[in-house]
Amino acid sequence: MHDTLKPIVDWLRERNPEFDEIPPDLDLIENRLVDSLGFMEFILLLEDVVGRELPVTELSVDQFRTLDTIEENFFGGERSW
Amino acid sequence: MTSNISDTSNISNTSGTLCAADITDAGFQRLLDRLSARASSDYYNPYTTFDWPPSLPADEFWFSPELLSVHGTQYAENLAPAQLRALSRWESVNFYSLNVHGIRELLIEVMRRVHTPGFETPSEFFHHFMGEENEHMWFFATFCLKYGGRIYPSKKLGPAAPAQDPRRENFLVFARILLFEQIVDHYNVHLAADDRLHPTIRQLNRIHHQDESRHIAFGARLVQLLWERLLAAGLDAEDRAAVSHYLADYLSASMASFYNPAAYRDTGISDGFALRGRLLNHPARRAAHERVLRKSTDFLTRIGIPLAL
Ligand SMILES: [Fe+2]
Ligand SMILES: [Fe+2]
Repeated sequence: MHDTLKPIVDWLRERNPEFDEIPPDLDLIENRLVDSLGFMEFILLLEDVVGRELPVTELSVDQFRTLDTIEENFFGGERSW
Repeated sequence: MTSNISDTSNISNTSGTLCAADITDAGFQRLLDRLSARASSDYYNPYTTFDWPPSLPADEFWFSPELLSVHGTQYAENLAPAQLRALSRWESVNFYSLNVHGIRELLIEVMRRVHTPGFETPSEFFHHFMGEENEHMWFFATFCLKYGGRIYPSKKLGPAAPAQDPRRENFLVFARILLFEQIVDHYNVHLAADDRLHPTIRQLNRIHHQDESRHIAFGARLVQLLWERLLAAGLDAEDRAAVSHYLADYLSASMASFYNPAAYRDTGISDGFALRGRLLNHPARRAAHERVLRKSTDFLTRIGIPLAL
């Protein structure tokens, strides 16, 4: 996993101390690591880490579902935004 | 359940789950009649009511300094006077942007319910409510676009809240609307009374406050009735704690949305995200939030939902 994901992993663990580690394919939404009210906070953190604003209304929740999909969608470099 | 769509986009398949509100109540009906009559007699044409000067003075405050997200902290003192004024411009644009997005969400929810079974009693007033909110959204968006050149985008797309019992869903929807309106009203009242601000800014906030006083009177009664119905349907201690926890989170998230990294960036403050985090943990800001939220927490306590904020 990308080192740049570390602040995201730290944030998730701080909010969900029952998880010692977060498997990269764990569904963060289904397992309520990020809930609807925490999502805005999560987006602002992700924007800070990737260094640009994300067009949130054009994105789908599926893109944030696991650490793997986050890495692929926001740190892969091949996306157009 | 898998919730891969945001709750606001999922309009078509929920109408069957909204019944069972059963809010018939003689006192409520009298309140609705009074509020509908007042909405009609106070009606104004929003499209001709406001003076929209081509620009607002860039060397004045657009937002009261005591309402700024840095107020009461060393971060306010570290800003040069011109920068503090710039922050007041961008935080005013942020405030009206939050209104635009908040109104979209509440309109969708009210629109889903008007003239559906269970909402016969408030449907007449819903028409005033939806009409007025559409107009509020217009004047707030106009302010943002005319004087800020942008509406700050909503960051709120997210997982839908898990499926709820319709009674609980109805209660939470109208509780969110009421709490949102009470928070906004705190700012409106302060901004309308602040004679350092441009007349257009004060007028916008004064007129919004007048309409919202009806919405808040309506919402407080409706939320109390929906809560009583929910209790009567049987709510155990665990459910009550979950509701209380959710509403406390909702209030915290609402206050946190006043700390927008994009507004800090537009002000020329570097690392706005880190500043946001420091401010949200600052004791002076926590005390300020308590003051903004006082009416809401008092109301919830009064109807039997004490919050641990
Ligand atoms: Fe409004
Ligand atoms: Fe309203």
